[in-house]
Amino acid sequence: MQSYLRVAPGWPERLARAGVEAGTTAQGLVFWTDRTLGDDWEDVLAEMTEAFVLSREAARAGAPVVYVVDSADLLGRRGTGKAMVAAGLLSAARDLAQETVRAGIPANVLATDETTDPGTVAAWIARLLDRPGTTGELIRLGSTHLARALP
Amino acid sequence: MTGRIAVVTGAGRGIGRAVSARLVEDGYHVLMVDRDLTVVDTAANLGKGSDTTGLVADLFTDQGRESVAEAVAHRGGEVWALVNNAGIIRDARLVKMTDQDFASVVGVNLGASYLLTRRLIPHLAPGSAVVSLSSRSYLGSFGQFNYAMSKGGLVGMTRALARELAPQVRCNAVAPGLTETAMTRSMPPEVKEMLVRSTPLQRAAQPSEIADLIAFLCSDRSSFITGQVIVIEGGRSL
Repeated sequence: MQSYLRVAPGWPERLARAGVEAGTTAQGLVFWTDRTLGDDWEDVLAEMTEAFVLSREAARAGAPVVYVVDSADLLGRRGTGKAMVAAGLLSAARDLAQETVRAGIPANVLATDETTDPGTVAAWIARLLDRPGTTGELIRLGSTHLARALP
Repeated sequence: MTGRIAVVTGAGRGIGRAVSARLVEDGYHVLMVDRDLTVVDTAANLGKGSDTTGLVADLFTDQGRESVAEAVAHRGGEVWALVNNAGIIRDARLVKMTDQDFASVVGVNLGASYLLTRRLIPHLAPGSAVVSLSSRSYLGSFGQFNYAMSKGGLVGMTRALARELAPQVRCNAVAPGLTETAMTRSMPPEVKEMLVRSTPLQRAAQPSEIADLIAFLCSDRSSFITGQVIVIEGGRSL
């Protein structure tokens, strides 16, 4: 399995160990949100636009999509900009899953936190890139989500 | 309550107009904002005197948002309810969606709401409420990648602002489903029929029903509710 990787520093190597290597969006998209994003609207729009453009490339190629967000951002706990992107991508994945389900192309969201084991994250990404497979789902790893709202 | 200012965007028709009418009933002075020039007449007809002000503004521009802030300042400077309702659709499957389709929908539905809210934060009175119109499409809706991202983004904005502005200001979102508006009346009948069939309550909502929920979230009756998304769609998400 190969996929386009837009991930944090250090992660390409970890993902490679799980069998996910950088490639093109024709093979798959792993979009890792910018964990340093601030609340400036222009930055938020740029992040969302990049996700849109890459997702469209993947959709045109019939490739699976995984958005990797921070669980705390889904709950709005680390600032408005990050929250808008994380929750926006979750809704976008739910839309995309409906558009591609008949073709057996998955679109999912993986939410992590600082306690999540990197190997577990990598393994889940590899699993979510498999096709046909789980689609339209939010997988929350770590413990941030426990006893919190359903996004 | 008399004279408290409520700001409603996209107020010229549909849900925005119904919300404005409902908030007038509750005693607010409603600043009805819309890009459409007819909002001035709509406000005059709705207000029956001095209960409303119609303001033509493009909220995606600095000038448009500034004109809202100036109108608020002109009437005393304190906002007790802000209803972010303005929105557009440009539906297409993702593979065919243009850059412009994406930028315009996310810009208007999310960007303008976010930037207006930020601009009005200094004017929000202690005990006031912000209600943003998301949509059941935040749960996913075929052919609406842009719209879903914008409405999901509003949910994220609501949660973050609920934490940031507490305890002074409450922030909630409303996610309506099929509602009888000009937009849904223009739908192909077979599409609307399919949507109604998939709704347990077997009908579309009336704008007044959405307005009642928003008025509740603006009022002290919801004084312990913040950071929530209330889905109001006849059970269609079940």
